[in-house]
Amino acid sequence: MRDAGTIARKDLRRRLRDRTAFLVGVVLPFGLAWIFGLTLGDVESEGFDATYAVVNRDEDGQLPDRFTALLEGLDFVTLREVTTVADAEVLADDGTIDAAVVFPVGFTQRVEAGEGGSLLVISSPDAQIAALVAESLATSFASDLDAAGLSVATVAASGAAVDADLVARAQAVAPGALIRSEDADDRATSQATFFAIGMAVFFLFFSVEFGVRGLLEEREEGTLPRLLVAPIAPSSVIAGKALASFALGLVSTVLLTVATTWLLGAEWGDPLGVSLLVLAGVLAAVGVTALVATLATTTAQAGAYVSIVAVVGGLLGGTFFPISQAGFLGTIRFLSPQGWLMEGFQELGFGGSLGDIVGPLVGVLAIALVTGAIAWTRSTRMVAR
Amino acid sequence: MDPLDAHGGAMSVRKAFAIAGVNLRRLVHDRTGAFFVFVFPFLIILAIGAAFGSGFTPKVGVVSVDPGPLGLDLLSRLESDDGLQVQRFADDGALRTAVERGQVEGGLVIPGDYDERVRAGETVPLSVIARPVGAGQEVQIALDAVVDAQSVEIRAARFALAEGAVDDFDQGLARADAASLPAVEVTSRTAGNRVVGTFDTGAAQELILFMFLTSLSASSMLIETRRLGVSTRMLASPTSVSTILLGETLGRYAIALVQGLLIVIGTVLLFQVDWGDPLTTTLVVLLFALAATGAAMVMGSVLQNASQAGAMGVFLGLVLAALGGCMVPLEIFPPLMYRIAHLFPHAWAIEALTESIATSAGPSDVATNLFVLVAYGVALLAIATFLLRRALTART
Repeated sequence: MRDAGTIARKDLRRRLRDRTAFLVGVVLPFGLAWIFGLTLGDVESEGFDATYAVVNRDEDGQLPDRFTALLEGLDFVTLREVTTVADAEVLADDGTIDAAVVFPVGFTQRVEAGEGGSLLVISSPDAQIAALVAESLATSFASDLDAAGLSVATVAASGAAVDADLVARAQAVAPGALIRSEDADDRATSQATFFAIGMAVFFLFFSVEFGVRGLLEEREEGTLPRLLVAPIAPSSVIAGKALASFALGLVSTVLLTVATTWLLGAEWGDPLGVSLLVLAGVLAAVGVTALVATLATTTAQAGAYVSIVAVVGGLLGGTFFPISQAGFLGTIRFLSPQGWLMEGFQELGFGGSLGDIVGPLVGVLAIALVTGAIAWTRSTRMVAR
Repeated sequence: MDPLDAHGGAMSVRKAFAIAGVNLRRLVHDRTGAFFVFVFPFLIILAIGAAFGSGFTPKVGVVSVDPGPLGLDLLSRLESDDGLQVQRFADDGALRTAVERGQVEGGLVIPGDYDERVRAGETVPLSVIARPVGAGQEVQIALDAVVDAQSVEIRAARFALAEGAVDDFDQGLARADAASLPAVEVTSRTAGNRVVGTFDTGAAQELILFMFLTSLSASSMLIETRRLGVSTRMLASPTSVSTILLGETLGRYAIALVQGLLIVIGTVLLFQVDWGDPLTTTLVVLLFALAATGAAMVMGSVLQNASQAGAMGVFLGLVLAALGGCMVPLEIFPPLMYRIAHLFPHAWAIEALTESIATSAGPSDVATNLFVLVAYGVALLAIATFLLRRALTART
């Protein structure tokens, strides 16, 4: 065991010398977290904002003005003056405005007469989210009008006189239910957390790769026979390599967790759960990449194989974008250790505790055990040759 | 004049194709390579198709335990909405798990005392659990609409009760139902498009991400070529450096192009994913493949060994892709980052594809984007050629 430790230290020192360890262990996690942080932006200072326009073709009515006033009251909205639908189309098309809400001729009159009406939202192809928000605003405005209209009609049916006071009272009635929209901060945190988890799980396989290819490198460089001549058991050599890659992988992942929490505001959840899952994950990564490396004959091939396992496993496991659990994809997802890890980390991120991640922990450790055992057997045989 | 060129004479396009052929054949015979070129795209097709294929009605989860008649009414309105597929859950813990796992896009909890609280005149806050990425936003808006529709009748009933026009709330609801008025409808469409509805940029982001990633990963093959000394041996034959470089480029470009086209065609045929205008999409794939090839070759010539190239390639690929808008949508980028994103070909490719998907934009509508992609391809290939030529001829 002590020999294994010596081999591990030797490997790590070599990695430190060729700066690989530094690159993979430090630069990679912080660099990634910083870049993602840049693209997500700082919610407090930047937030979400949109540029809208109201095309008022209902010049005599006051409803368009009411809607405009509503938009002006929202601090994330910038309003632009647009007079015709054609102008709105052009501006939306080139992205100057995110969306335009069109009030047709005679809108107010029709609505007040109880004949209903229609609003059109024209959106920019580049502003999917802002367009949805505009549609949402228009819909709730329309719903308000419907409610006031129906209220007046209901009362009028029993013979009450319809006057401005009645209408004003109708408009003031409280809604039955309102969907409590997610806090912008919460949403940004969830996004940041999702990307943070995805990155960490994905890069896990690359950070352990270096140590694991070690055996093949030694063979190629001709230092393996010399190692074996030394009075240490071949198994110590293998154990040493595994230990080195475990250490590097662990440091790298822990630093990534820290970096994303600090730079991105990601919320990983229960620290004990996260630590256990990280440990299990690194073990599984070492096992899988070791097994894959033993299937290769050169270091270049090993590197290529590991890349494939990491990218495919990441894709199927949902590290790049959420994979729906429906159907075929939902089942094969759990063939990849990344799939189990994503499941576990997301559970913790959503507020789960240790009890909730028993399944993923068991799955990940099982993969670690099986792949590790096979890799060990194959490595021993390879070294014995 | 380059002494090596003197041996090989002029560039021979025929020989270049032969070199490309050798490289491709070697790739296909190697198990890894074959997997990357042929099998991998199908996995991406599956993933894109599952997420963005047509006939995709978002699934919503609803928790509603004994919510009274009004709660049940809300539930039945949700179930009869064509734009939503409702799945019932026993409690909000189960719903939350389902949302996390992607079984449903979002969920709504109708509290047990919904009915009483509404009758008491309260505005009941309903909490929605939505996924942070994906169709979560659209689902929330769809839920909003259904809740609003019920609220319209509730408000009318409340008003009738307050004005003394009816004796109790249920009577008010009945009157409101009877007095039903035509509603104010809201329709939306994208500028320049006749079709009503919304769309998703996700498929475009993923296509560009994976075309770029696989190009970079394959660059380790180029380094392998240098290591094996194949290029040097080729130089010993009467072949000019230019021919070799052209051959290497052609091989890589073929891979990137085939994969991109495979993914587009596969998702259309198997999942009816809508990519908009076929010509625009094909041109974007053709030109982005060129840029990706150039980038991969630059990286291949800069990185010293194959093992570094594998991991660094993927790392760089993801970083550049993230900066270029392949992960977080460009729309959410802060202004400065949005400008920085346009330093990379990804942003231009994604925006061209998005225009095509949203408005069936033809090539002339996205001409600027296409020209930029050409410029990137040419520039990157020029840099790669310069660096590779230096590396190859340095052996003398």
